[in-house]
Amino acid sequence: MSGFYVDSVLGALPSGSNALMLTVLLTPAVAAAFVAVTRRKRLAEAATLLSAFLVAMQVAGLVAGVIAGGELSAFGDFLSLDALGALVMIPIAGVGFVAALYSINYMGRQYERGIVDDKHIVRYYAGFNVFVLTMMVVPLANNTGLMWVAIEATTLVSVFLIMLYTTEGAIEAAWKYLIVATVGLSLALFGIVLFSYAYSTASPSAAGSAMNWTGMAADAKMLDPAIVKVAFVFVLVGLGTKAGIAPMHTWLPDAHGEAPSPVSALLSGVLLNCAIYGVLRFNIIASGTLGPSFPSELMIGLGLLSMGIAAASVYFAKDMKRMLAYSSVEHMGIISLAVGFGGFVGLFAALFHIINHAIAKPLMFFASGTVSQRFGTKTMSEIRGIIKVMPITGALLLVGGLAIVGMPPFNIFVSEFLALTSGFAGGQVLAASAMILLLVLVFAGFIRQLVPMVFGSPGAAESARLGGAERKDDMGALAILPMVILAVLVVIFGFYVPQPLQTLIREAVQVVQGAPSS
Amino acid sequence: MTTLLADLITLSAAGLLIATFGVVVRRSFIGWVSAYRYQSVVLAASTAVVGYSTGFWDIYAAAVLTLVVKAEVIPRLLVRVTSGVEGDLKMEANPYVSIRLSVLISALLVALSYGLVGQVLASARLDVLAQAYLPVSVSLFFIGLFAMVSRRTALNQVVGLLIIENGLFLFTTALTHGVSLIIEVGILADALVGVVISAILLTRMSQTFDTMDTGSLEKLKDD
Repeated sequence: MSGFYVDSVLGALPSGSNALMLTVLLTPAVAAAFVAVTRRKRLAEAATLLSAFLVAMQVAGLVAGVIAGGELSAFGDFLSLDALGALVMIPIAGVGFVAALYSINYMGRQYERGIVDDKHIVRYYAGFNVFVLTMMVVPLANNTGLMWVAIEATTLVSVFLIMLYTTEGAIEAAWKYLIVATVGLSLALFGIVLFSYAYSTASPSAAGSAMNWTGMAADAKMLDPAIVKVAFVFVLVGLGTKAGIAPMHTWLPDAHGEAPSPVSALLSGVLLNCAIYGVLRFNIIASGTLGPSFPSELMIGLGLLSMGIAAASVYFAKDMKRMLAYSSVEHMGIISLAVGFGGFVGLFAALFHIINHAIAKPLMFFASGTVSQRFGTKTMSEIRGIIKVMPITGALLLVGGLAIVGMPPFNIFVSEFLALTSGFAGGQVLAASAMILLLVLVFAGFIRQLVPMVFGSPGAAESARLGGAERKDDMGALAILPMVILAVLVVIFGFYVPQPLQTLIREAVQVVQGAPSS
Repeated sequence: MTTLLADLITLSAAGLLIATFGVVVRRSFIGWVSAYRYQSVVLAASTAVVGYSTGFWDIYAAAVLTLVVKAEVIPRLLVRVTSGVEGDLKMEANPYVSIRLSVLISALLVALSYGLVGQVLASARLDVLAQAYLPVSVSLFFIGLFAMVSRRTALNQVVGLLIIENGLFLFTTALTHGVSLIIEVGILADALVGVVISAILLTRMSQTFDTMDTGSLEKLKDD
C-alpha cells in the first residue's frame, strides 16, 4: 500500500503536482476502509499514522507546487488549489499527523481504562481518517457547492467522533453540535446559492459552472450588489456558526470539551480554519462587488463580539477543555478582526494567525488530555501542581498557555501584534484599542487558571488520586513527542518565519486582495 | 409558458405548503414522519416540474433521487431506528406552543417569507419558477426552524431539520435550475448520513436519559 503511494508521490512531483490532489484525498479514504475492514486496534493505529504521514508528505508536495508554480487544478476546474487553499492544507496535514501520533497513546489509555472498547477504537480511527479527508476537500474544492457539502460532512463525521463516548455529556454535546451546526450551514447554503445565482445572471462565463469560485471571484464586479449583500450575510452567519464566531459559537465549548482530546485538537486547530477559510473565500467576492467597507465592518464587529464573549467565558470557566474552547472563540475573533482591518499587514496577520493558532491550540489540547488522564478530572480547581507530578507536560503546558494568551516571545504574539498594527495603521483606532483591552482580559482570566494548575501544590484529595504526589509520570513518550513537536514550532515561529511559509502567506494575501499571483 | 405548466407550478408550490402544515398540526412522531413523506413526494414532483420547464435531464434524476431517498429511505429509517424507543417518549406531552397558536405563527411565517423574498430579491429579475418556489422554500426554512424551537422532543428537531433541508433543496433547484447534479447528490447524501447519525444519537439519548425532552439536555454549562 505504502509503496504505491510513495511511487505516485515521486512520480507526480516532477510532471506537476495535479495527481497529488487526487492521491492526497485517496490516502485517508483507503486508510479508513482498511481500518473498517481489518478491525484490529494495532493495525488501525498503524494505518492511521501511516496515512497521516503520507498525507503530510503529499501536502508538502502540493504546497511546494503552489509556491513554485501558482494555482494547481484538476478535473477541469472542479478541484483547485491556490496559495490560500494551500495555507489551510498545511494545518490539516500537520495537525492531522501529530493528532494521529498522539491518539495512539491517548486512545490506548482510554482503552486500557475500559472507557472505550475494540469497537469504539475501530470507529475512532475510521472516523479520524474520514474527518481528515472531508476537511481536505474544503480547500481543494473550487466548486462552492462541493465545498459546502464537504463542510457539512465534517460536521457529521465530527459528531460521530464526539459521540464515541456514551456519557450524558457527550450525547448532549453531540446533539447540540449537530443541530446548531446543521441549521447554521443551511443558512450558509442559502447564501452560497444566492452568490451562484448572482453570478449566473450577471456573467456569460457562468454557464455550466455557476458555482465555481474562480469564476465568481473573477467577475465579482459584475454581480448584483443587492443580492451579494444578502448572500454574504447568510454565508457569514452560516459559516461563522461553524467557525465558532460569536454569537453563533454556542455549540463549540460543549463539542470541544466533550470530544476525545485528539479530536478536540483537530476540531479547534483545523476544522475552525476550514470554516474561516470559507468565510474568506466569500469575503473576497463580496469585497469585489461591494467594496471592502461592508464586509470589513461585519468582520470587525463579529470579531470584537467573539473576543468579548470569550474573555468573559474564559474567566468563569471551570473545565479545562471548555476554557481552551472559549480561547478558540477568542482566536477566531482575532482572525476575523484582522481580516476586517485588512490591508497587506492585516491579512498577513490573519493568515499567519491561522497557522499559529493551529500550532498552539492542539498543543494545549494534547497537554490537557494527558493531564486529565493523569489527574482523573478536567475540573481546573482539582488540578494542582502539574509541574511536580508531570514535569515535561507541565513545562509544555506552560509554554502553550503563555503562547495562547499572546505572550512574547511566542508565535501568537507576533500575529496579534501585526493585527494590532494594521488596525491602528488603518485608522480603526477604536476597534484596535478594544482588541488590546480584550486581549488583556483574556490574558488575566487564562493565567489566573493556568498558574495554580501548573505550580500549585496538590491537596490531599489530589495526592490520593494521583497515587502519591511524588510519583513523576508523564504518561509515556508517545504522549510527549507530539507536544514537543508543536512546542518547538511555537517557539521557532515566535522568532522566525521560514522563507517558504512567508512566501506562501504573501501569495495568499494577494489572493485575498483579489490579485491572484498566477 | 403554457397555462398547464403555470398551473402545475402553482399547484405543487401550494401542495408543499400544505404538507408543511401537516407537520405543524400533528403531535406524534409517526404523524410527523408521514407528513414529511408527503412533503417529499410533492418536492420530488416540484423538482420534476422544474425539469420539465427547463428541459435539463439531470433535474429529473434529482427528482427521482429525492423520491427514493426522502420519501422512502429516510422515513423508513427514522421509523425503524426509533422503533426501540417507547411510544410515550415519541409523543408531545406538554408542548411549549399549542397547535392553534403554532398554525397561526406558521401562517405568519409564510406571509413573512413572501414579503422577504419580494423585498430582498426586488432587484433580481426572477423567472416564473423562482417566483413560485422561492417564497415557499423560505417558508419551509422558517417553519422547520419554528418546529425545532417550539417543540420539546428531540425527534421533532430531526423532523425540523429535514423540513429545512427540503426548503434548501427547493431553493437551490428553483434558483440555479439544478445546474449541478453532483452537488444535489452531495446534499442528499449529507441529509441521509445526518439522519443515520441523529437516529443513533436519539436511541442513545432515550437509553441514557430515559427521555427525549431536550429540556434535559442542559448539563453542560460554565456556572
